Amino acid sequence: METGYRVNLMICGGTGCIASGSLKVKHALQEELAKRGLEKEVNLVLTGCNGFCAQGPIMTVYPEGIFYEKLKPEDIPVLVEEHFLKGRPVERLMYKEPEKKSTLPVMKDIPFFNLQVLRALRNKGLVDPEKIEEYIARDGYQAAAKVLLEMTPEQIIKEVKESGLRGRGGAGFPTGLKWELCNRVPGELKYILCNGDEGDPGAFMDRSVMEADPHVVLEGMIIGAKAIGASKGYIYVRAEYPLAVQRLQLAIDQARAYGLLGENILGSGFNLDIEIYQGAGAFVCGEETALMRSLEGKRGMPIPRPPFPAVQGLWKKPTVLNNVETYANIPPLILHGAQWFRSLGTEKSTGTKVFALTGAVNNIGLIEVPMGIPLRKVIYDIGGGIRKGKKFKAVQLGGPSGGCIPENLLDTPVTYEDIVQTGAIVGSGGMVVIDDSNCMVSVAKFFLEFTTDESCGKCPPCRIGTKVLHDKLVDITEGRGQPGDIELLQDLCGDVINCSLCGLGQTAPNPILSTIRYFRDEYESHIHDKWCKAGVCRTLTTFYVDPETCKGCGACARVCPQKAISGERKKPHEINQELCVKCRSCYETCKFGALKIGPGRLRGELIARAREKELKGVEQA
Amino acid sequence: MPKLTVDDLKKIKEEYKSTFTLREGGYRAKITVHMGTCGIAAGAREVMNALMDEMAKENIKDVIVTNSGCAGFCSREPMATVEMLNHAPVKYQLLNPEKIRRIFKEHVQGGKVVDEFALVAGSETSY
Amino acid sequence: MRTEPKGASAPVFEKDLLNFPVAKEESKVKGRILVVDDEPIVLKSCERVLAPEGFEVETSESGPDALRKLDNGKSFDVIVTDIKMPEMDGIEFMAEVRKKDPDVGIVLITGYPSQESIKEALTLRIVDYLPKPFSPALLKEAVNKGVELRRKAAPTGPGVLDYNEAIAAKLDEIIARYKEKPGSLIPVLQESQELVGYLPPVVQRHIARGLNLPVSEVHGVVSFYSFFTMKPKGKHNIRVCLGTACYVKRSEEILAKLKDRLNIDIGEVTPDKKYSLESVRCLGACGLAPVVVVDKDTHGSLNPVTALDILKEYE
Repeated sequence: METGYRVNLMICGGTGCIASGSLKVKHALQEELAKRGLEKEVNLVLTGCNGFCAQGPIMTVYPEGIFYEKLKPEDIPVLVEEHFLKGRPVERLMYKEPEKKSTLPVMKDIPFFNLQVLRALRNKGLVDPEKIEEYIARDGYQAAAKVLLEMTPEQIIKEVKESGLRGRGGAGFPTGLKWELCNRVPGELKYILCNGDEGDPGAFMDRSVMEADPHVVLEGMIIGAKAIGASKGYIYVRAEYPLAVQRLQLAIDQARAYGLLGENILGSGFNLDIEIYQGAGAFVCGEETALMRSLEGKRGMPIPRPPFPAVQGLWKKPTVLNNVETYANIPPLILHGAQWFRSLGTEKSTGTKVFALTGAVNNIGLIEVPMGIPLRKVIYDIGGGIRKGKKFKAVQLGGPSGGCIPENLLDTPVTYEDIVQTGAIVGSGGMVVIDDSNCMVSVAKFFLEFTTDESCGKCPPCRIGTKVLHDKLVDITEGRGQPGDIELLQDLCGDVINCSLCGLGQTAPNPILSTIRYFRDEYESHIHDKWCKAGVCRTLTTFYVDPETCKGCGACARVCPQKAISGERKKPHEINQELCVKCRSCYETCKFGALKIGPGRLRGELIARAREKELKGVEQA
Repeated sequence: MPKLTVDDLKKIKEEYKSTFTLREGGYRAKITVHMGTCGIAAGAREVMNALMDEMAKENIKDVIVTNSGCAGFCSREPMATVEMLNHAPVKYQLLNPEKIRRIFKEHVQGGKVVDEFALVAGSETSY
Repeated sequence: MRTEPKGASAPVFEKDLLNFPVAKEESKVKGRILVVDDEPIVLKSCERVLAPEGFEVETSESGPDALRKLDNGKSFDVIVTDIKMPEMDGIEFMAEVRKKDPDVGIVLITGYPSQESIKEALTLRIVDYLPKPFSPALLKEAVNKGVELRRKAAPTGPGVLDYNEAIAAKLDEIIARYKEKPGSLIPVLQESQELVGYLPPVVQRHIARGLNLPVSEVHGVVSFYSFFTMKPKGKHNIRVCLGTACYVKRSEEILAKLKDRLNIDIGEVTPDKKYSLESVRCLGACGLAPVVVVDKDTHGSLNPVTALDILKEYE
C-alpha cells in the first residue's frame, strides 16, 4: 500500500466489476477528487477480482476497511463529499451482511428527521457543549477568524443583508439592516447583546441552543460585534435556565482562556468581552428597550422609540440586540455566503427556522425546517399527527403575541408574510398544537391571563386593557356573556393594539382576535347557548351518558373520582348530576363515544328528571 | 493557556476530528447521552450513571462516553446515540438504566443493534 | 408566581393611621402584642391598626412600665418598641426583655435609623425594624411575622430568625462584590434570595443601604420580577408549569387540585410550613407535559385525575 496518502481506495478491476461499470466509477472518482482538490490526499488503485462480483462494482477504503458495493457514477459526488471530505462513511452504499437484516429505520425514511435541515441546530446532539475543542472540530470559530482577519464591517453587513436573514426572536426585523444602523452611529463604546430571555410559554429553542451549542452564540456575537464595532457583550438569560447559564459560563471561560474572547482576538487587534446577565423572570424583558433597562438593574419597562437602541441603547450607548437563534445562524452564513443561505426558504423569508413543536402531536420536539414548508407537513409529517383519539383543532403560533390557525389554513407556508396573513405570527417559534378537547375561548383566556400578569404596568392601554379583556373572557367562560360581547371585544382589542407603547400590548389581543376570526361559533355558543361544547368551561357543561350508545362496560364508573356513575353491567349507565364535578375523566375514558357534553342548563333538567323518577318510584312502592 | 492563532484552530480541528470519526482516535465506539434540561428531567442522568457504571465494571477504555445537549425529540427522551466504528450512528429512545445496560452489552460489546429500543439509524442532514 | 401587584401602591403615611377604624372582630386572638413608645399618639395608632386584625394589644409609655408588666406574669408574642425614649432607651429595654423572655419577637420603630443602633438591635435578634413614618401594612406584616416566628420557635427553644448578624455580614459580602459594577441590583437580589430564601423588607432595606439606592427602587425591582419572592418557601416547594404545552394538557386542573388539597393559593405556604405552591411559565420540558416540579424532582406526563399522588412521596 502506498504511503503518504491519507486514504487509499481499492477499486475492483475484476471482469465482473468492469462489466458492471467499475471503470466508469473510477473515472467519476478521479474527476470528483480533482474537482475537490483531493487528488494528493486520496489514492486510487485498481485491484484484481475480489470475488464479490454479484455486488459489483465494489471498492474498499483504507485505512478503515470500509466496503462499498454496487457503486454508480452518480453516487460518487456524494461519496467523496461525505466520506473523504467530511469523514462520514456513506452507510447506504456500504456492504450489508445479508444474514442480519436490521429492521431499524434510517433517518431518511422518517419524516421527523428527513424534513428537517439543521443550520442553527447543526451541532445539536453532536458536540459536547462543555468542550470548546469539539466545537472547533466542527468548523467552530472559523467564521470568526474570517471576519476578524479578512473582512471589513461593511463586508460583513453586506453579506448578512444579502442573505435576507431576519431576526428570529419574533418581529423578524432584517438583521443586516439593524447592524448597519448601529455601525453608522459614531461612538467609542458600543454594546452587543444576546437575548436569551425566552419568555413565550411553549417555546424552548433558545434554551436548547444555549445548552447544546453555547459556543455558536459566542461566535455569532463576535461577528456581530465586529460588524457594529462593539467591545462589550452581554447575554441576557432567564434565571429559570440554570443549565444554559452554567454551560454558557463554561463556554465563555474556555473562549477567554483560548483568547477567542478578550483582547486582540486571534491576533487581529479586535477586542470583545462577553458576560452573562441573569434575568429575573419578566416576559416584557423580551422587548429590547425593556431588556436594556433590566440590564441596567432597573424594572424592565420599555421606553418609547426613537431613539432606537442602535443609537441610544444600554446606558445610552449604541447597542444591538439579537436573539440566540439569530446568532446561531451567523457563523455558517459567513462561512458559506449569502447565496448559500438563500438557497433555502422563500424570497422574503430566507433560510431555516427552529420551532418548538409541542402540544397534542405525537412527536414533540425541537425542529428546524426550511422556511416556506406548509404547516400541514410540520404537524402531520414531522409531528406525526395528532395524539390518539383526538382531532386537530388549531395550531398556535407566536405564543401570547400570536394566534391560532385552523384546519382549513394548514397549507399556509411557514414564512413571516404568510403567517401574518392568518392573524398569527412566526414569533420566536413556539408551535403548540391544540386538539378538540380544548375550548378556544379558554385558550384566548389563558393567553390574556398571561399578558395581564406580565404587562409591566407602564402604559394604561396595556395595563388596563388586557385586564378588561381578560375579565370579559372570564365572564363569557363562566356564563355571564351577553349579546354584543364579541363586538365589544373586537373593538377593545383594536384600541389596545393601537395605543400600547410596546410590542407586548400591541400584540396581546392577537389570541382573542384570531380565535374570534376562526372559532366565532364557540364564542357564540358560550354567550347565547351557555354551552361550552368542548366541555372545558364547567358552568357551561353537563356530562351525560347517551343510553343509545352506552354499552354498559363500566369503564366510566371505575374512573369517576366522585362515584357519581352507576348502572348495571351491559346496561346503559347514568351520571348522578348532583355528585358530578365535571372532571372529564369519564369522557376521556369512554371508548364508544357514549359520553356527551350538553349545555350547562341541562344539569338542572336532569336533576329534576331524576328526582321526579325517584318520587314516582316511591309512590309506586 | 496561550492565545490561539488561526493555525491553532486548524490544529485543534484536526486533533479533535477523531472524536467524531472514531477511527483516528483508536476508539471503536462512541456513546452520547443527550442531556438537555428536558432529557435530564426525563431521567438522562440516571441513564448516564448506569452507563458509566457498566463501563467501569467492564474496564472499557476504547469507547468514548460523552454528553451533549438536547437531541430535539423531546417526547422520546431520554435518548442516547451509539456510534460503532464504520457504522451509522443509532439513536435509542425512551431509555432507563436497565435499557442502557442492555444496549451496552448487546450493541457496544456484542455489535448487535437492540432493535426494540432503537429509534433510527443515520445522521441528520445539516447545512 | 407573582406575589405582588405590579402597579406600585401609594405609600400610606402615618397620618392615615389615625383614621383607621377600630373594630373588634369576633375571631379568636391571633397574638398578644405589647407596644412601647413615649408618644401616646403612636400607641393609639398602633392599637388602631393591630386590634382589627385580631391581635390583643397592650400599650406602655416607657420601658420600666413595660418591664413591670412582664414581671407581673404577662407574656407577649411580639413587643413593638421605639428606640428613643426618655427614661430607658429601646436598646437597653430590649436587652432587659431578652433576659426575661428569650423568644419574644421584637419589632423596632425608630425615627432615627443609624447604623449603630441597627447593629446593636441586630445582636438582640429583632424581627424587623420600621423607620417612622411607616404604613399600617408594614406594621401588620412585621407583627404577623413576629407572631408566626414565635409560634414556630415555641417548641424548639430559641428561634432562628431569617435575618441576623451572620446573614447581615454575608449580605454585606455580596454587596461589596457587586457594588462597583453598574446595574448590579438584580444580581445582588438573586444572590441574597439564594442566601436567605426570600426577600423580606428588612433584607431589601439592607441591600438598599448597601448599594446606596432608595428602598423604593429596590422594592420596585423585587415586586416587578416574578423570580423574587417576599414570602418564605415551605420545606417542599411545588412548582406547577403553566406553559402552553402544559396548559393544553390540563395543568390548570392540577394546580386547582393542589390549591384545594393544600388549602393555599399560589405564592403561599401551608401553615405547617411543609409545602409552598408556585406556578411557573414553561420549564421547557414540554415533552413531558403536564409537568410539576417538587423541589428538584420533575414529575412529568401527569394525569390530572391522579396527579395528587405525587405528594405521597413527600409525606
